[in-house]
Amino acid sequence: MPPARTIRQRAINNENDENIGSTRVTRAKAAALTIPHDAGGENMVKKALGTKKSATNASISNAAPGQRKRAALGDVSNVTKTELVDSKEGKKVLNGKAGLVSKAAQNAGVQKLSRANSSRSILGAKDQNKKTTSSDLKRPASGSGVMGGAIKKRHTGSTGSQQSIKEENADSENEPPHKAAASTGVERVKTDTKQEVPTVASRQVEVEVKQAFAEGVQDLDAEDYNDPLMVAEYVGEIFDYLKVLEESTMPNPDYMDHQENLEWQLRGVLIDWLIEVHTRFHLLPETIFLAVNIIDRFLSARVVELEKLQLVGITAMFIASKYEEVISPHVVNFRHVADDGFSEEEILKAERFVLAALNYDLSYPNPMNFLRRISKADSYDIQTRTLGKYLLEISLLDHRFMGYHPSHIAAAAMYLARLILERGEWDATLTHYSGYSEEEIQPVFKLMVDYLAQPVVHEAFFKKYASKKFLKASILTRQWAKKYHPLYLDNNQMPTNRHYASLNTHNNKG
Amino acid sequence: MNPSNSLGGDINPQQNPYLPLTGPPDNSQAQAQQQPAIPPHLKHQPTRSSNLKRQITDQLLAPIDILEYDRPSKKSKYPGLVSEGMDKRHPSSFQQLEKLGEGTYATVFKGRNRQTGELVALKEIHLDSEEGTPSTAIREISLMKELKHENIVSLHDVIHTENKLMLVFEYMDKDLKKYMDSRNSGGQLDYVTIKSFMHQLLQGIAFCHDNRVLHRDLKPQNLLINNKGQLKLADFGLARAFGIPVNTFSNEVVTLWYRAPDVLLGSRTYNTSIDIWSAGCIMAEMYTGRPLFPGTTNEDQLQKIFRIMGTPSERSWPGISQFPEYKSNFHVYATQDLRMFLPQIDQVGLDLISRMLQLRPEMRIGALEALGHLWFRDLGTLRAQQAQAQAQQQQFGGMGGMPPPGGYGYNSSMV
Repeated sequence: MPPARTIRQRAINNENDENIGSTRVTRAKAAALTIPHDAGGENMVKKALGTKKSATNASISNAAPGQRKRAALGDVSNVTKTELVDSKEGKKVLNGKAGLVSKAAQNAGVQKLSRANSSRSILGAKDQNKKTTSSDLKRPASGSGVMGGAIKKRHTGSTGSQQSIKEENADSENEPPHKAAASTGVERVKTDTKQEVPTVASRQVEVEVKQAFAEGVQDLDAEDYNDPLMVAEYVGEIFDYLKVLEESTMPNPDYMDHQENLEWQLRGVLIDWLIEVHTRFHLLPETIFLAVNIIDRFLSARVVELEKLQLVGITAMFIASKYEEVISPHVVNFRHVADDGFSEEEILKAERFVLAALNYDLSYPNPMNFLRRISKADSYDIQTRTLGKYLLEISLLDHRFMGYHPSHIAAAAMYLARLILERGEWDATLTHYSGYSEEEIQPVFKLMVDYLAQPVVHEAFFKKYASKKFLKASILTRQWAKKYHPLYLDNNQMPTNRHYASLNTHNNKG
Repeated sequence: MNPSNSLGGDINPQQNPYLPLTGPPDNSQAQAQQQPAIPPHLKHQPTRSSNLKRQITDQLLAPIDILEYDRPSKKSKYPGLVSEGMDKRHPSSFQQLEKLGEGTYATVFKGRNRQTGELVALKEIHLDSEEGTPSTAIREISLMKELKHENIVSLHDVIHTENKLMLVFEYMDKDLKKYMDSRNSGGQLDYVTIKSFMHQLLQGIAFCHDNRVLHRDLKPQNLLINNKGQLKLADFGLARAFGIPVNTFSNEVVTLWYRAPDVLLGSRTYNTSIDIWSAGCIMAEMYTGRPLFPGTTNEDQLQKIFRIMGTPSERSWPGISQFPEYKSNFHVYATQDLRMFLPQIDQVGLDLISRMLQLRPEMRIGALEALGHLWFRDLGTLRAQQAQAQAQQQQFGGMGGMPPPGGYGYNSSMV
């Protein structure tokens, strides 16, 4: 419809233009300032990347001179040394909110912070929790969960500290409006309906989702029949269908084998940068997941030159925005954020090329759906889910997750989040709603612990989740991993696992 | 750019240690390694490889030196990677016939496949030089490729050229609006036809909702009818996939007359129930030949709805005052009996339509539930009777025209 489109263009320009001007590629610039020193030798990264590393680095530096535009990839050569957390600094990082933002911090690792605060990260989390929750409640308060709260928030976002507000907004959209909506006291008289309406059709009209519930599993959807946003009538079929889709939208986890000009490390750099772009554009959580799936499926099918990798990334984000967002940023914004390294025409051409290569199939079942589904079996505990969201996003950056289904990764993320927060065992209900038993989760879980136990290589990602609004998830989980990973990781199993000379045992666990 | 690079781009299938092998053993792998020049799955389909060549020469799609058009590989193992079932055809594979309609971002032509003679509908989408491929087109194509159902129009092909995108759909004779207008009855349809169309409409909707898709633009113009009496949902330009819980969406959806009151009130967290409201409006329209709520503006639309359904209050609809478009000074109307507006409707049908036209979204019946409504119980019998009557008429010197709705060839799931 025409109205929708008009609005879109109008809104985009005020919303996003503001962002670009000020914030463009700061990380890349900052990274460029970093003094290269080689810590790469023993890095997990290197191992993951295998033998191509040196060759590629050479080619990067050849390509880089004078090409400011490729900022995101230009700093590749620095990647291995930007260890924010070494064994000593690890605990300081915990408290490092202020330090995290400054350039100095980027270079030197995170400084300051007294240890006293470390136990607060969880408490702080709680406060945060309250805030978010109450803002969520606005929405439901207005009725059947329908309302303009979200819209208003978007507008507010463009004025003040847009970034944070908007991010909270995004987060709140994850918030199941469910409880509040239910509290409106809408009682749908389903039973009457059923009696009056004998079922004749071959399709059973039983509104109840008839699943075979194993012993100890609660039917959690039953309570949602009066909450339209939970679409309880269809929830069973929908999740069955998503499981089918996750099979059909899997990338080839070994695609780097045929990419002569790329390596996994570069993918990590690209995606770390895209996470920054994603935050800057205030996009929905779904969008980054879809964008990364587009990149990986595309790279599974087509060979890409290093110089074009960033174009693929920005194009994937452009496409994902069009698919997921109510209002997607204009192509100009994507050009700007890539430091004008590519023209709009190039991006639009690439868009058509990528869409054709994927055969227009964007049916990727977003891992966020699975995360929320499991969260339901967890009473929507916001701390668990926030941590879970961070852990889920690890799978975007670390290519070793690529061979696992989104639902599997979501299960592992929630499992690990619950473990860290000591939320009790992975019971029958959780197993049922995640679709994975504790045992099945292990391999993915271990990869996550392994990632967390390694030095920080993805700065933007780390910083995003070091903020209070995300309960300092990146800090908290790393602290936990530093302390406990030996319990869960068998060093022989993790090819990239490395030892820490001095394991910090002083961390107080929240 | 370096040509040797461009050709070096083939992808050798690798054993994937993570993925369970779901398909049959892939013996194309061995072939691929022996003869990398011809991708294994193309060997069986010579037509495709020639098309492939054409694409390479055309360079229509390749953005400069980005990437080479190398062969898609490993179809069986990583189905997510590769095109399938979409033969890349050239626009000239179709003969363009008369224009069928013009929408806001596309024009639809009747077309004929030059090779097979098959009739198709060609939807031409003009590419905006500013925005590239419209998000409506991206969603429509992606979703239509998923939604394969007898009550959803099927997308055969997508042809992407320099400045336009052409979607090739199965051909349907007319849309429901034209079908109604073509009846010499002031647009009213007969009882059996209404019931059959409603059943098919709800089946199509239920399938969308099962597959987590909201159509968001149901109206008679978007329901296509063929001469077998089949009804299919079309135009998924406004459709989108939803998560659970449902995210917030734009409220600029659905043509005004068929737009649900919660959306009119500014809701952005609507769900499957908005399609049901539209279906209710369509059902009424089939009875009367006229739209039930022909509003001119957002406010007028709400007023037309309230005039019949009654003005909701905080008491009848807790939370309504929180909607962005809620006005405390809405004119207060009493609830009317729908039967006054639909004199021909029977009691059971009235029950069904009132369940669909509930103001509060959470009170609206679901598509699946509606399909099981008592009103549809006799559909099978009615269809059989009508088919029989029609057959007899044809025996006596046959009148042309449409076969019975749901008549021959309609593969009903009804018992």
